[in-house]
Parts: sequence; structure tokens; C-alpha cells
Amino acid sequence: MTSYDLITAAADNLWRMKLRSILTMAGVLIAIAAFVSMLSFGAGNQQYVNDQFEKFGLLTTMQVFPEEDKNGSDSVKAKVLNDSALALLAQIPGVRLAYPLEAFEIEAKLGDSAATLNAQAISSEVARTAAMSQYLAGTRFENDSAHQAVVTRDFVKRMGIAEADSAVGRELVVTARLVRIDSAWAAIISDKDGAIRKRLRAIDRDSIFEPGYMMGLLRRETSEALRRFYSGLMNNRELVTETLTISGVIPGRHESPMRIEQVILPLATARRLNDGDISMSPASLMSSFSSGSLPDMFAPKEGKSYPKVTLDFDPHTPFKSVRDSVKALGFKTYSFAEQFEEIQKMFIYFDMALGMIGLIALVTASLGIANTMIMSILERRREIGVLKALGADDSDIRRIFLYEAAAIGTLGATFGIIVGWGIARVASFVAQSFMRREGVEAIELFATPWWLIGIALGFGIVVSLLAGYYPARRAARLDPVESLRNE
Amino acid sequence: MTEPWIATKELCRYYQRGPQEIRAVDSVNLNIARGEFVGIVGSSGSGKSTLLNLLAGLDTPTSGSIAVGATVLSALSRRGLAGYRARQVGMIFQTFNLLPHHTALRNVEVALYFNDTPRNERHKRASEILTNLGMGDRLEHRPNALSGGEQQRVAIARALVKRPEVIFADEPTGNLDYENARQIAALLTDLNKEGLTVVMVSHDLELARSICSRIIKMHYGRVVEDSGAQR
Ligand SMILES: Nc1ncnc2c1ncn2[C@@H]1O[C@H](COP(=O)(O)OP(=O)(O)OP(=O)(O)O)[C@@H](O)[C@H]1O
Ligand SMILES: [Mg+2]
Repeated sequence: MTSYDLITAAADNLWRMKLRSILTMAGVLIAIAAFVSMLSFGAGNQQYVNDQFEKFGLLTTMQVFPEEDKNGSDSVKAKVLNDSALALLAQIPGVRLAYPLEAFEIEAKLGDSAATLNAQAISSEVARTAAMSQYLAGTRFENDSAHQAVVTRDFVKRMGIAEADSAVGRELVVTARLVRIDSAWAAIISDKDGAIRKRLRAIDRDSIFEPGYMMGLLRRETSEALRRFYSGLMNNRELVTETLTISGVIPGRHESPMRIEQVILPLATARRLNDGDISMSPASLMSSFSSGSLPDMFAPKEGKSYPKVTLDFDPHTPFKSVRDSVKALGFKTYSFAEQFEEIQKMFIYFDMALGMIGLIALVTASLGIANTMIMSILERRREIGVLKALGADDSDIRRIFLYEAAAIGTLGATFGIIVGWGIARVASFVAQSFMRREGVEAIELFATPWWLIGIALGFGIVVSLLAGYYPARRAARLDPVESLRNE
Repeated sequence: MTEPWIATKELCRYYQRGPQEIRAVDSVNLNIARGEFVGIVGSSGSGKSTLLNLLAGLDTPTSGSIAVGATVLSALSRRGLAGYRARQVGMIFQTFNLLPHHTALRNVEVALYFNDTPRNERHKRASEILTNLGMGDRLEHRPNALSGGEQQRVAIARALVKRPEVIFADEPTGNLDYENARQIAALLTDLNKEGLTVVMVSHDLELARSICSRIIKMHYGRVVEDSGAQR
């Protein structure tokens, strides 16, 4: 028998027992519909997360941090993220861009509101990476020295503007204090009203070789020097002001997984504001003092180190190879791609849990198929005998029944997929209108991708074939003489 | 009756019913030549149907052998035996055994499903043979719309459509009235005259005598009389 014969025979036989066939198919239909709608939810969630990851370029972004020396005091050995490290990182195969986080304190004025906050400088190259390309309104700044700024939605809200759109084009006045390190050094030895002489005179020369006295003296003098250094730093800063135009608004920290400062400036523009010797806020400078990491802060500008470097790499480069290269250079990494793998694993379990429900229903449906087939074999004993007398061999008979089972599975699964898809659409509609009514962004939580349809169809057919296998085998082995015997 | 074509040697088919062994066919040695019209007669339960089923490859012997030409049936696999039934054998039954849900035409076509006949040829050959048997205007009728005689004609068409080498008929007239029985008997005689080998089981000794070229009588599974053997 050809497949055509088998298919028409299966169609004939199912048509002949319409009601029974429909009921059996309904079992498969319900199971597959449950399977499809459940997994559409899983797939929709996964799709949403994947889209978010892709949208923010998280899969092609990696954060690099300096390795902290866990062995304690000797911080010289720790790898520092300086410009030479930056150059090495940029040379890693697949890395398109390596850029440091350069944050500095500014005062920003927008209309009547003002705030002191951190600004971040990025080059126009960096501005073009996916991670920096999520504009809620407006667009990126034109070039590295443009008198423009990109701000986050957090910032816009903080400045009392409700809509991101209305912030674009507004004037932003940015003020920074430039810190000159020489003014700080000068303060230490500045000798207003002969202070140094007074202090020197206060030293008791006779006790100078007593260790206790010497220690106390040193401690007193050191802290005096620090006090002067700091006040020199604070009091001798020069104010620089730039008037910029807001070119675009991007999602802020709470909306984006990226750690982004509230005001983002073009690189050259930022340099004008941040041309001091120490690119740190006074507060963090103080904490550096007390933690003893000061020498780093005084290193010349070329040798300055960054708390974090961001890598933007080619999507075709596996993140693992980039990560391994970075680790080989002695740095710590953090990558969303790594999280992404974990999330994907989690989704597999999630999907499996959802799929289980459909599969249990499918197993139940398969019992229905087996039952229907066994019934029909009992009724069709004589027919089987006749076919065998006419020359059908075991495999012909087996195939006749397997094709019927497959037809039940295929039809049941096909309609099940349609119904399951419909359920997902309805659920999605209901969920989205609910989200809208609650005033949150309506996100699509259901997706019915082709692979899901393929798997559902495959499961429907395979489970039906498994259910039909035993009855078909029984039919194939029927003794024709036995089945043709009169009464 | 020269060269034997179908030959059985010590052919046995036993059934075990509890402790009792039923010898449905017992040590049958039989030679049938091409073109013979063999009638198998005997009382009920004498093993006629069992013997016929063995010859038709529908049943397998407990011991002994059957050869059809160069083919030894007992050496064939289940699949091989099915091929023998599909290509060389036409079977006719007392109760017609048509598929009740299919039309007359389809019932005949089914016989060509298992011997690789192309689909369009199946249709052509089936309607041709039904027309030849006077059923040309009943092609689309289902068995329950046909009389017993008409049903048996469809069954004969189904047996003939595959152009078999031998027809095995198990009481083909058993369910028919006198007139229909005569017509079917005449049909089988015609087919035999055209050269087809026919082996027919019958209760009706008189009918068998009038149409068969050779009568074999069975009793308790054994051949007790064979008109052909004396010749
Ligand atoms: N499956 C079976 N199990 C046990 N005994 C069987 C079986 N099939 C047939 N027999 C027995 O074998 C013997 C021969 O049966 P068979 O059907 O060949 O007789 P028959 O000559 O065709 O009879 P009838 O004229 O009534 O059709 C009978 O005694 C029957 O009861
Ligand atoms: Mg019989």
C-alpha cells in the first residue's frame, strides 16, 4: 500500500466513525491547546526578557573591574584599570570598544531646578553602542565636542518635567569645580602668620629621641598637613560653567539594567568641565585619604585608574572568550550574558513546568486514542481478515492503524495549536488591557513561535503513534482464519 | 492431468482443544495440476475449509509441506506468504466477505492494494471486470444494496481482478438460492474453461459433480476418495 492509499484509508475509516473520531481528537486538541497556550506564556516571557537584553545591548556588553587584592595591604600588586590596561582590553579579539567610566560631580540647572549630581562622559563612539542607544526622546549628541547633553528620565523627573519629550531641546547649565592639586600642596606649606616657625619651636628637642614623643609628633604633624591639603583643595577650586542643550533622554537606572549616571556629556565637552587633577568628588577623596589609597589619586593623569571599564563586543564573538581574555589580563568581569545564560536555564525549567501540564493532558488523551483503536480493532476483525486474505501482510495492517492514529494526532494537534494560539491571544489581550488600566506599560507576555508550533505538532503525532502502536501491532498479528470464521 | 502444480506432502493441521487433539487436516498428499477444477466435498467438520486455507496460504500447517510450482509455502515468511496471497491466489467465501462500508468498485480495487498495481490502473481494471460480470451498473453500490448473488459476483470480481493463478472458493454457493447458485457455478466453469485453476469446497455433491473435473472427498481430515487419483 502506498502512503496515499494509507492516508485515504485512514480518512475513510475516521470519517466512517465520525463521532468517535471527533471525541478522540478532542482529547488531543485540548491537550495540545493547553500545551501551546501554557508554553506561549513561557515563550512570551522569555521573548520579553531576551528583547530587553538585546535592546540594551546587554549581550554584547561586559563590565571590567580591577581585581582587588584579597591578601590585604600590598595594593601595588593589584591590577589597576589604567590607560594601558584599557589599550590591552581594546585589543581583545571581538572587542569593538573599551571605555572607562568617568564620573565627576557637577551642578546641573534646568529651568528653575538645580541639583548636584554625577555626570558621565562618553565618546561619540560609545554613544553609538547598543547599550547607549535607547532613546525615549530625542537622539544622541552630534559629536565629542557638541554643546549637548543626554540625560536620563530620572533626571528629567527630578527637574520637575513630566514628559521626556518636553525636555529635549531645553537648556541645561552645567557647573563643575576644577580641582588643582598644586593648590592643595601649596596649602600644606603655606606660611601665613609664620605658623611653621611657631610649630618648629614647639618641638621639644630633648625628647626627640624618645620613641613615644616622636610618634605623637609625627601623628600631629601629618594630620595637620592633611587638614591643610584638603582645605587647600576645597578652597581653591575654580568654577567652570557650560550651557548645553539636551539632545536626548534615555531610561534611567531604575528602568535600565545599565549603571548610567543622570547626565551624560560628550567626551571633549566633559574634558572642559573635568580638567582638574583629581576627578573625584571631595567626599570620595576623603574616604580615599582614610583608606590609605591616596598615592593612587596623586598619580599623573596618564596613569590614572578607572573604577570600571565597559567593553562593547561583536555579537558573533562568544562572551566566554572575551571573558576569559579579560580574566587572563587579571581583571574581574561582570557580564549580563552570564546572567542571561542563567536566566535561559531558568526558563527551561519554567517551560518544562508549563509543558508538563500539557503533556499530562496529552498522556490522558493518548489513553483515549489507544482505547478507540482497540475498540475499532474488535469491530473490524473481519475486515482485517479480509484484507489479509487479499494479500495484506502484517506491516500493511499495522500501517493502516498507525496512519489512523497519526491522523487523529495530526488533526487534533493542528486544531489544538489553533485553539491554544487563540487562548494565548485572548489571555494576552486581557492581560494587556489590565496593564493599561493599571497605568503600567502594556507588555506582550505571550508568544507562539514556530518552534513551539513544531514541537506541539510533533508531540501530538508522536504521542498518538505511541498510543496507536500496541493496538496496531495487535491488529497486525490477528490470525486471518480466526477473524474470517463464521460466528 | 499431467504435471502436478500444487503438491502437498503429509500435510497436517492439528488443533489443540484442551487435552484433545483435533486433526482438522491429517496426512494429506495431494497433487493438483494447472487448469483443474477440483471439488472438495465431505461432511461438516471434515477439514475442507482448513485444507483450502492451507492451500491459499492463509493458514500454516502443523507439519508437512505445500509447494505451489517452485514455491514452498511452508518455507515462506509471513510477509512472503502474504505476497503469495496477493499475487497468485483469489479467494471466494460463502459469506462473500465484502467490506460493508465500501462500494462494489472499491471492494474490487482493494484486492489490488497489495500487489503494487498503480492507482489509475486499479480503477480501470476493477470497473472492467465488474462490467464483464454484469455488474457495470452497480459499481457505486454498497454490499447491503446488492442481492446475495450480486455480492458473490463482486467477490468473484475481487478474486479475479488481480489475475490469480488459482481460485480457492469455500462454498461459494452455500448462501445462494438455486438460481443464483447455478449462475455462480456457471461463472466458475467458464473461468476454468479459460484456463484458470479452481479449487472449490462444497456441501452440494451433486453441484460439485456437475461442474468439477475432479472430486476429492474428505473424512476426519483425511482424503478418503479422489476421482483424479484413479485416472
Ligand atoms: N481454531 C480452531 N480450534 C479448534 N478446532 C478447530 C479450529 N478450526 C477448526 N477446527 C476444527 O477442525 C475441524 C475441521 O474444521 P473445518 O472448518 O475445516 O471443517 P469443514 O469441513 O470446513 O466444515 P464445514 O463444512 O462445516 O465448513 C472441525 O472439527 C473444527 O471444529
Ligand atoms: Mg468449512
